Amino acid sequence: MKNNRILIFLSFIIVSFYLSGCSKSNASDDYVEKESFQMGTVISQRIYGSNAEVSANKIIQKLNSIEENMSVNIKTSTVSRINSNSGQPQVFSINSDIYNILIAADKFSKLSNSAFDITIGPLVKEWGVFTDHPHVPSKRRINELLKLVNYKSIDFNRDKMTFRLPIKGQMIDFGAIAKGYAADEAVKICRGDGIKSAYINLGGNVYVVGNKPDNTPWRIGIQNPRAADGKYIGILRVSDKTVVTSGDYERFFMKDGIRYHHIIDPRTGCPSNSDLISSTIITDSSISADALSTATFVMGLKKSKELLKKLDGVDAIFITKDKKVYITENLKKDFDFQDESGEFTYVEKG
Amino acid sequence: MLKKGDIILLLVIVLGILSVVFFGRENAVSLSNTSGSPFDNLGITAIIKKNDKVIRKINLKSVEKREVINISGLHKATIVAEKNRICFLESDCPDKVCVKTGWLSHPGEIAVCLPNKMIIKLEQDKNQNVDGVVK
Repeated sequence: MKNNRILIFLSFIIVSFYLSGCSKSNASDDYVEKESFQMGTVISQRIYGSNAEVSANKIIQKLNSIEENMSVNIKTSTVSRINSNSGQPQVFSINSDIYNILIAADKFSKLSNSAFDITIGPLVKEWGVFTDHPHVPSKRRINELLKLVNYKSIDFNRDKMTFRLPIKGQMIDFGAIAKGYAADEAVKICRGDGIKSAYINLGGNVYVVGNKPDNTPWRIGIQNPRAADGKYIGILRVSDKTVVTSGDYERFFMKDGIRYHHIIDPRTGCPSNSDLISSTIITDSSISADALSTATFVMGLKKSKELLKKLDGVDAIFITKDKKVYITENLKKDFDFQDESGEFTYVEKG
Repeated sequence: MLKKGDIILLLVIVLGILSVVFFGRENAVSLSNTSGSPFDNLGITAIIKKNDKVIRKINLKSVEKREVINISGLHKATIVAEKNRICFLESDCPDKVCVKTGWLSHPGEIAVCLPNKMIIKLEQDKNQNVDGVVK
């Protein structure tokens, strides 16, 4: 009889150990959620795993260093110093972050036939869409500034890692590419730390690592370009991908009934006037997605489709002025068209 | 045959195991439930953060009377919560993007005041349709 009792006790102990062990392994539900204000926008991170806090803080630090190096709003940043010394003989040493961005920028300027160009700075400044006092510059002023815009004119020495702008008044602006680069760096930190699941959003520039903790893909809404923030025209299921959108609704001002938005066409010096109001790129590299979403938005539907054919593993969702939604073939199984407003048409063919 | 004492012991053990199972479950529920309120799974919670610190959480479904929240700091801001909706009513920040965003009423919606480092976001505790929106 004593034996019996010991047995019962033993099984109790074993069972309770097993159960408590079970609830502890639930730690994969552990996550941190952080919002920081960096690079002129809100950075949201949701990182899963017991070490998530450490990774999230590393990411914040990395983004800080990128911002301090590239912001045109920080006078001491390398980019600001390069810009304010344009036309001077002085060359500037650049770190690997700026180097990587310059390499990528060059690639996408060539691919897009100059629809993407980091030397757009003087025109971005002149239009002032990012300031409290935007205005429409005169035709003469635009033409004058357009002479400064040409990615081929920059003096970038890849071996020595030095850079200068040869023409006085030239300015580089990483606004259409730096957040994508930063997202890639953030994801690198996650992967290095063994993070299996994370959602990182740099002011609308999204990267998802792995699946959600329940092993289903992440569900990303595609902003309705003519509705309030957070209203979407469809949902995309993705894992291990970046999703980046450029649209005419993010920043704009109205003058005499015309919408002047923040994406300046480097070929005309005016806000891009293609047939697109929103262009979303889905791929593995956020720097590519960032540059390509801007480039395709400027190029318009037809030319963008041709460009995408040349690229591997790059998908897109285009929304045109006449409110039609076009998506690339690969995405069709992962996209649910859900337009609450009823104003958009999903073009499944073509 | 088992003695009376054995039966009591067994009962205690069974109860013990059951309570562990039950406790374990409840634990899991509260882990996945960000609002911390396990009884109102379909409520929309507005989370107000300043400098990445949560300063208020409001279950919008259960707001009966209009609530005004004044936030001090570099720029003063006023947030108003009503049944099922919330917004930045006023702010003396320079760009007023936060106020222009207007009412938030759907899970996933977000209003941001960059100069004030403030954010209001709406979360639905369960069955949220999307994890985020790209714009």
